[in-house]
Amino acid sequence: MEEKIGVYVCECGPNIAEKVDIERVLAAVSSIEGVAVAERYKLLCSEEGKKFLKENIEKHGLTHLVVAACSPKQHELTFMNVCEEAGLNPYLFQLANIREQCAWIIEDKDEATEKAIRYVRAAISRVRYHIPLEKKEIEANPDVLVIGAGVAGIEASLLLASRARKVYLVERESSIGGKVKGFAQLFPRMESASALLEPKIKQVVENKNIELMTESEVEQLLGFFGNFVVTVRKKGGEERELNVGAVVVATGLQEFDVSGLPQYGYGKVDNVYTAGEFERMNSPDGPTQGKVLLKDGRAPRSVAIIHCVGRQEKGYCSRVCCLYSLKLAQYLKSKIPEVQVCQFYSDLCLPGKPYQRFYEETKGKGVDFIRAEKVEISEGEGGVAVNYSSESGRLEVRNFDMVILATAMEPAHGSAKLAEILNIGRGVEGFFIEEHEKLGPVSTSLEGIYIAGCAQGPKGISESIVQAEAAAGKILASLVPGRKLEPEVKVSEISEAFCIGCKTCISVCAYNAITFDELRRISVVNEVLCRGCGNCAAACPSGAARHRHFTFRQIYHELMETLR
Amino acid sequence: MADKEYNPKIVGFLCNWCSYAGADLAGSSKLKMPPAISSIRVMCSSRVDPVLIVTAFLRGADGVLVAGCHPGDCHYEKGNYYARRRFALLRKVMETLDLEPERFRLSWISASEGPRFKEVVTEFTEHIKGLGPNPVKEKTSL
Repeated sequence: MEEKIGVYVCECGPNIAEKVDIERVLAAVSSIEGVAVAERYKLLCSEEGKKFLKENIEKHGLTHLVVAACSPKQHELTFMNVCEEAGLNPYLFQLANIREQCAWIIEDKDEATEKAIRYVRAAISRVRYHIPLEKKEIEANPDVLVIGAGVAGIEASLLLASRARKVYLVERESSIGGKVKGFAQLFPRMESASALLEPKIKQVVENKNIELMTESEVEQLLGFFGNFVVTVRKKGGEERELNVGAVVVATGLQEFDVSGLPQYGYGKVDNVYTAGEFERMNSPDGPTQGKVLLKDGRAPRSVAIIHCVGRQEKGYCSRVCCLYSLKLAQYLKSKIPEVQVCQFYSDLCLPGKPYQRFYEETKGKGVDFIRAEKVEISEGEGGVAVNYSSESGRLEVRNFDMVILATAMEPAHGSAKLAEILNIGRGVEGFFIEEHEKLGPVSTSLEGIYIAGCAQGPKGISESIVQAEAAAGKILASLVPGRKLEPEVKVSEISEAFCIGCKTCISVCAYNAITFDELRRISVVNEVLCRGCGNCAAACPSGAARHRHFTFRQIYHELMETLR
Repeated sequence: MADKEYNPKIVGFLCNWCSYAGADLAGSSKLKMPPAISSIRVMCSSRVDPVLIVTAFLRGADGVLVAGCHPGDCHYEKGNYYARRRFALLRKVMETLDLEPERFRLSWISASEGPRFKEVVTEFTEHIKGLGPNPVKEKTSL
C-alpha cells in the first residue's frame, strides 16, 4: 500500500505559534516523500481538534500520523485514541515534542523553528518504520495471598474478603495477631490490646472467604500480576499450590538483638530487660501474670527506661520507641504508684495528633525525663547503674532497681529470603522497599505485590492499618472479577532465527521475563512479564532481541534524520 | 552562513521516566537553553545500544548525551546500572575507533530536576562547542 503520512502541527494556542514559525515547518516537511498532507491547527487536543484529526485521517486515507505538539507525556494517548477511532493502528503514530523542547526553551524564534523542523522530520522518518501493534487481554485471578497475620495482614485480609475476594492468609506462627498479641495495652489511649485484636481475629477465623494457613511459609512465587502461582509449605511437610492475582506482604518486624551491644549490660546485669520482655511481663498471660517484679520477687522502687538503643547501629529512628516508652512508664505508674520512673532520651520523637498530649500526661504522672548521651549500664550498688553523659557533658551515674531498654526495630527474620522468593527489593535497612517513597508507598517494583505495615518500616498500629487498607484498595481497584488485564504491548520479542542461545538477555532482565527453551536452544520472552525497558535489545549480541516500538531500525532512522 | 556561530549537532537519548520528564519540567518552567541538542526518547537508558552511539558519531554527531534515572531510582530497577557499565566500556571502544570519549556523556537527571536538565544541556553544549566539529566527519566516507 502506498505510504500516506499526515503531518499536523498544533499551534497550542499561542504556546507554539508565537515561538515557532509554523509555516516554515510545514514548508520544510510537506515535500518529503510519503507526506500526503501537512497542516496546522489551533489546538489539536481540543474536542474540535480531535474531530479534525479523525476526519483528516479518514478523508486522506492516512497510513501514518505525525503530530507536532506537546510532550508525549501530555497527549500521546489522546492522539493514539484518535487514531484508533479513525481506524488507524495507534502505533502508526509519532508525536514530535516541539513545545517543551522547542517553543518553551529556545529564546530565538529562528533557532526554535529550525529545531522544530528537525524534530518533525525525525518523527516522519521514524513513523515510516512503525509496526502496528495489537492490544492483548489476559484473564486475571482476583484471589489474593496475604503473607503475615499481624494487624496489617489481618486488616488487609478482612477488607479484601468483605468484597468477596478469596484470601489465603499465610502465617508462619501457630497463632495469629502478630506483635500486638503480646501487648497488654496500646498507646496513647491505654486501651486493652486484646479488646482491639480479639474481635478481628475472630472475624478472620469465621470468614468464609479467608483461608487461614498457620505454621506455613511461602516457598516459591511464579508468574505475574493477575496470575501468580504460589507454593506454600506447612511445617512438617505438606505443600500446597495456590493461584492468586496479587500478594500483600505484611511480615512485620522484630526487636533488634541488643546482646551485640555490651555497653547495655543485657544478659549480664540482672534486672535489665528489653522493652519486649517488659511488655510480656505486663501481659496478664505473661510469665508473671501481669505483675512487675524484680528477679528476687520484689517490686521495683525505681526504673530507668533507656531510649534509642541500637538507633545509631541501625542508622534509623524506629519511630514508635519513644511512644511505647511512655506507655511502659504508664504501666509502671499504674501498677506501682510510688515507683520512680526515669526516661533517658537523646531526642524525643512524638509526631502526630495525640502524642504531645500523651507525653504531657505521662510526664504529669511524675515521670522524669533526662537528656543523656553515651548511656552505659553496669552493676551498681544494690541495683543497676546507669552511666551517662548529661546535657552539659558531665559524666553522671544513677542507680535503679530495674532498667528497660527501648530497642530499635528491624525487619522480621527471613525477610531477605522472602525478598528473593518474591523478587522484590529491600532498602539498606533491610525492610521491603516501596515503589516510591511518596507516590507509591505500598506498591513494590513488581506489579501486583504490595507491602503493608512494619514489613515496610517501623510504624504504629494506625499507620499499619492505613497501609493495609491502601494495599487492599489497590488490589480491589485493579483486579476485578471478570475483568481482563491489558498487558503492555511495547515489550521485547526474540527472533527464533537470529537467537544464538547465549542467554545474555536472560542475565540482564530484571523481571525474569525471559526463559530458555532447551529444545529449540533459544531465549523466549514472556510478554506478560516483560515491562518493556529494552535492556535485552541493547544487550543482545546477535540482534535477535527486539524492543517493540523502540526497535533499532526505528531509533536509527529517527537518529539519522536528527543528524542530517 | 560563514559568520554564523558554530552550531554543533548533539543527540540526547533521554529515558522516559526520569530524564524525559525532567526535560518536560524544564520546558514547562520555560528554562532557556541552547538549541543544539535533539532529544530521542527511549523507555530506559539501558535501551541505548552502544552501537547507536558509535553510529551517531560516525554519522557526524558532535556530541551524544545519554540521560537516565539516578542510581537506585531506575524505573526498571537496575537498567541505569547496565547503562553505566556498558558506557564505561564504550569509552574504551571509542578510543580505539579514534573517537574522542569526551564527546560522549552519561548524566543522571530525575523527573524533578528541570533546572539540572538545563544545566547539563547548556554545559555539554558549551563543552562540545569548545571541542569544535567532530573530526570523524572529515575522516570517514560513511
